[in-house]
Amino acid sequence: MNIELTTEQKALQLEVREYMKTIMTPELLQEMKIPEYKEGGGPEFRKQYARMGADGWIGLSWSKELGGREMTHVEQYIFTDEVVRSGFAYPFLTTEAVTPVIAANANDKVRDEVVGGVRDGKVVIAIGYSEPNAGTDLASLTTKAERDGDDWIINGQKMWTSLANFADYVWLAARTDPDASKKHKGLTMFLVPTTLEGFSHTPVHTLGVRTNATYFSDIRLPDKYRVGEINGGWKLITGQLNIERLSLFTHGQVDSLYQGVCEWAAATPSPAGGKLIEQSWVQHNLARVKSGLEVVKLICWKQAWSMDQGALDMADASVAKVYGSEFFVELYRLLLEVMGQAGAIATDSPGAVLKGKLEFRWRVGSILTFGGGANEVQRDIIAMAGLWMPRTR
Amino acid sequence: MDFTISEELGSVQQLAQQILADFTGVDQLGIIEQQQERIDGKLWHALAEAGLLGLDIEESMGGTDMGFYSLAMLCEEVGRTVAPVPVIPVLVSTAGTLRRFASPAQKEQWLPGIANGSSLLSAALEEYNNDDPAKPACSATAMEGGYAISGTKICVSSAGSAKRILLSATTGDELVVALVDPLAAGVTLTPQVVTSGETCHELQLENVQVPGDDIIATGGKALEAMEWAHQATRTALCAMAVGVCDKMMRITGQYTSEREQFGRAIATFQAVSHRVADCYIDVECLRLVTQQAASRLDQGRPAREAVAIAKIWCGDVTHRVSQASQHCHGGTGVDRDYPLHRFCLLARQIELSAGSSALLTAQLGQDICAAYT
Repeated sequence: MNIELTTEQKALQLEVREYMKTIMTPELLQEMKIPEYKEGGGPEFRKQYARMGADGWIGLSWSKELGGREMTHVEQYIFTDEVVRSGFAYPFLTTEAVTPVIAANANDKVRDEVVGGVRDGKVVIAIGYSEPNAGTDLASLTTKAERDGDDWIINGQKMWTSLANFADYVWLAARTDPDASKKHKGLTMFLVPTTLEGFSHTPVHTLGVRTNATYFSDIRLPDKYRVGEINGGWKLITGQLNIERLSLFTHGQVDSLYQGVCEWAAATPSPAGGKLIEQSWVQHNLARVKSGLEVVKLICWKQAWSMDQGALDMADASVAKVYGSEFFVELYRLLLEVMGQAGAIATDSPGAVLKGKLEFRWRVGSILTFGGGANEVQRDIIAMAGLWMPRTR
Repeated sequence: MDFTISEELGSVQQLAQQILADFTGVDQLGIIEQQQERIDGKLWHALAEAGLLGLDIEESMGGTDMGFYSLAMLCEEVGRTVAPVPVIPVLVSTAGTLRRFASPAQKEQWLPGIANGSSLLSAALEEYNNDDPAKPACSATAMEGGYAISGTKICVSSAGSAKRILLSATTGDELVVALVDPLAAGVTLTPQVVTSGETCHELQLENVQVPGDDIIATGGKALEAMEWAHQATRTALCAMAVGVCDKMMRITGQYTSEREQFGRAIATFQAVSHRVADCYIDVECLRLVTQQAASRLDQGRPAREAVAIAKIWCGDVTHRVSQASQHCHGGTGVDRDYPLHRFCLLARQIELSAGSSALLTAQLGQDICAAYT
């Protein structure tokens, strides 16, 4: 039992932190001020993403055969944590969640095309799971793929397809057997190039960032873009969701907000005299944030470590999701309270504290408790997998 | 970074579990509760026989020297079984401090007896409205060959059978850490029944003369000793809370899976199962911050912040898990014939010992302020 990064791990942390400073160029920071490009997709984003690929930073934990470095999950987490801390809109779902599944299940040609493209920092993949009527109950999705000779004809609509406005592919879950005995048994996974005729998207403006509704209208898709077995999609989706949850709640992104607010409060005069950070109510909020943050760090480390040891415990993965999402929202509030009225001033308005980062993160954070698997479902999983309690109804 | 429980630690844990299970049946717990001093002497002896009282005592002093982490694990198992043995005051607060700060002669005098179970020493770290032994109100006055100590300590565990009680006092200029003989002139022990059910004692000292042989440390070394004792005691309480809360939650998971109302197990209501799931999350959080604090102490690394954070979580989690467990049990939870109540009482006792969440949150906030200004 030794809960501390090793010297080598600390060196990697520092290396990534320094490297990411070179990625966050002034041009990129300028580009990210354009709402359309806030979450990536602009030319400068593309340029820096490709540079990370060329410099060998993408796919650290992949096998050498795929062009990765076979790093441990702990090292991979250290990388993820620092990249998120830097503010770069790195497409984690593409690199960490979806690509390994594609590598393991796609046919050789598509594997080379897609996995190679991701490794080089040239490919971004959007996730096409949710639909207007299939959210938490994902297995009820109705977008359908019908066989036609060597091709599939795809029709339907997806919702919340983030990055689809600039992604190269959509990782699509579609129904291939409408008569399956259980609805999750009739699903198949496809990679849909966004250049195909019949694909379109419209923006959906959320409280935080832009996302998309995507439309699939008589798209003719060659069978080589099917990933995994016909009607075998559910396993690929659920396997990926567990990994997705791991990259959602990293420590660095909120730790840097916390540190920023501490520094701000230490430099800002209080009307009561002295600095704001000397006020007991400010100290109280900062201490509550700090004690919660420590658990975020430990949960992340433990999960990464567990993955290196073998399997990730199902209940633990759900604990991380529920705790992370609910604490992030709480942290935003506690830190915004310290700023008071100024906490509500948006980025680029005069007087915005810490460039309005917290105001913005709170907006984005409101999706955390239901995104990536609603917390109610996670609690069901915890009760069943962690405590052997019966299924709720 | 490594969360592995080594084979060595794993076998300590297993051994502790076996012995504790043998002595903590409901009937046996009930018998010990009738005693004036709530210590199961036979269990204490069995733990000594197995080498478990000397986990954090050098081999040359009769211990097994497995380190602080193994002792924290023993505390967790004692919590899990609500076993009536004073592992924290005797093994952590007292033996742990003596091991690190006493002279070779003092260690020779006391540690072998603690390790083999033949003598029991306790600690008195708290005063009214003051949980910090590094800042005592008790006074010490230097005298020929020792110190005279006056003042009041509270909620002292195992004071009735302790040969010495470790405590601190101040001369005004410097801190003094001493072993006080409870039979010495000027000592008054008044029984204080506390939430856990244990009869502790208020310890009044009126010009109690402590010979030089029983002075453990003075000045900077005494300060260091009391800071260590404070952190180690808090961490051990957190470890015990992990055991208490983990067990309470599992009892509740099982009870709600069996208890039927409206024709179905009440665990099949989400409102019930989610409350237990929240306990699971809480216990996992407490486990992680406790492991971090214990491993830092084990390796002799700075632990002030890690310990404060662990004890903040400890106070919050003991409260929440205890209340949720009682609630989900309905009336059964408060029935003294059902085992849950012992866990709830011990949970509250731990929460209020050695600094509450509110106090530690305030102190952590002051530390943060100091780090940034």
